[in-house]
Amino acid sequence: MADNLTAPSFNNSYDIAIIGAGPAGMSAAITATKAGARVVVLDDKPRSGGQIYRNVDASPLANSAVLGEDYLKGKQITAAFKRSAAEHICGVNVWHVGNNGEVLFSLEGETQRLTARQIIVATGAMERPFPIPGWHLPGVMSAGSAQVMLKSDGLVSDGAVFAGTGPLLYLIVAQYLRLGVKVKALVDTTPKTNYVRSMSEIAGALSASAMLIKGLGLMNEIRKSGTQVYRFADNLQVMGSDTAAGVSFCVSGNSHEIVSDHVFLHQGVIPNLNMTRALGVQHHWCEQQLCWKPTTNSWGQSSQSFVSVAGDSSGIVGADSAAAMGRICALGQLVSLGLMSEQQAVTEAAEDQRFMARQQRFRRFIDCLYRPIDQHRKPTDENTVVCRCEERTVKDLKQGFAQGGRDPNQLKSQTRCGMGPCQGRMCGHTVSELLADWRNEPVADVGYYRLRTPMRLVTLQELSRFTDVAPAVTPSIIHSTKSSSSGKGSSLEEKPQ
Amino acid sequence: MFRSLNDKQSQRSLVNLTINGMLVTAPQGQTVWAAMALAGETTTRLSPVTFKARSAYCAMGVCFECMVEINGMPNQQACLFEVKEGMAVRSQKITEQTSLLTSSEITPSDAISMLAENVGGHHG
Repeated sequence: MADNLTAPSFNNSYDIAIIGAGPAGMSAAITATKAGARVVVLDDKPRSGGQIYRNVDASPLANSAVLGEDYLKGKQITAAFKRSAAEHICGVNVWHVGNNGEVLFSLEGETQRLTARQIIVATGAMERPFPIPGWHLPGVMSAGSAQVMLKSDGLVSDGAVFAGTGPLLYLIVAQYLRLGVKVKALVDTTPKTNYVRSMSEIAGALSASAMLIKGLGLMNEIRKSGTQVYRFADNLQVMGSDTAAGVSFCVSGNSHEIVSDHVFLHQGVIPNLNMTRALGVQHHWCEQQLCWKPTTNSWGQSSQSFVSVAGDSSGIVGADSAAAMGRICALGQLVSLGLMSEQQAVTEAAEDQRFMARQQRFRRFIDCLYRPIDQHRKPTDENTVVCRCEERTVKDLKQGFAQGGRDPNQLKSQTRCGMGPCQGRMCGHTVSELLADWRNEPVADVGYYRLRTPMRLVTLQELSRFTDVAPAVTPSIIHSTKSSSSGKGSSLEEKPQ
Repeated sequence: MFRSLNDKQSQRSLVNLTINGMLVTAPQGQTVWAAMALAGETTTRLSPVTFKARSAYCAMGVCFECMVEINGMPNQQACLFEVKEGMAVRSQKITEQTSLLTSSEITPSDAISMLAENVGGHHG
């Protein structure tokens, strides 16, 4: 046992380690600690809330109401999280989660280590890459970044162009306008065909009519403000050679140019996959959301039974469903830990599961309406940068493909695409989709990069200094089960769907 | 150019730091990237192959475009760090030509062998 590297060491171990303190992670922690589990939550930001409720308790804005009620309601969940018995370690980068339940993270130049019997990955979403000509130039940022800077530091940019598609894009434009920040133009790349196609899913949207009305309200707010709005735009490009000078695009075949030194792009969000990929759990391609997702069962349990995935890191579900999923994952793990009967977990999960089913119908409508167009996901222009870290263009990738780079890993070794510090976060989906087109095969057959520890850049100093982190010594429950596999109920054994 | 809405800045205490040698005052809790943006020092790093100026893209820790040197330590994500009194921030100029000499980063395979050593020591 002593020499076995993979043997779990449950002395001084947490029951559950949760990675991410957004709605999913916080809700999981609240549910799990209520049932007596020893829980630690690790997050890379200084305060809990995730991206959606970022700085909700410490807003730099005099009137944070301009950010909307969907933001402010995050205060309830952060308050409940703070009241819970969960330990919260913030401002740390988790860079390794081992299949022995070991979690390694960096804190002020040192590596900290803890062990947990169960892991909940709740690392949220990231914005979908927007690989168009010039997207790598200084002055081009994601629309999500505009919102992050507003929420965390009260920063705004006057006279910027916002371009792309999706609810978040309209939300940040509306937030800017409420604050009196001038927006040069909104270039909406949602194609007409999406409006037609999404009508087949309208029943699902009507079941969540409050959200639909909110969405329409944002568009109304933007139009009424007099902001220039271009709809049905395609062929979007960033102008400029060394820095952004504006955007060019076409509407019904007519070309337009808008000059601005700040361009914010957005075409939806995708799961933040690096942790689940590095953990080696099974993933599948989701055609509805055009992204890879970890494969889970109805309890959020992945193909590695001690790892569950909650919230947007499991597939884009939105903040409310993320919270519901966090609770469901926690209940599933409580059963695995022997801290709750399966029957009780099923009962407690029922309402959240019904809620999620309703939300999924709405999500189908949203995914259909805001499906980003092919030309903005799969660049054809040879000089468009795909891998920002290593500056690899479509041309470089085509060359690598011709030389035998048929799957993402082969292409990576041929071209260095995906080998930089972001570890493929900004090019992985583009590469999967481009290769699928070039091979004329489904994306599912092409696959994704094989990712490994460390999930972040780690310095030699960090690796050489180790500190162990153990649960605070007030366990309210004496743990009788030594193995996480003993208390497992039959429904948790169900194969990932 | 970014500007601060300045709403509650007076309520936060201020810290002094330098950005590319320039003295800057920033409210406690502000991210390094925000301080850079407000100071007009938006070049975070040079791209490793073509040596072109780059700047933050996602501002939420995903894209690694905002890697800067903080107190001499390279490859720090400016969007994830908060300003601290006396902090020295510099745009990063590590490129393919210089990286072999200056980078303290390691490859995944290095890490795995080092991990095995460390982990083995602690478990043993």
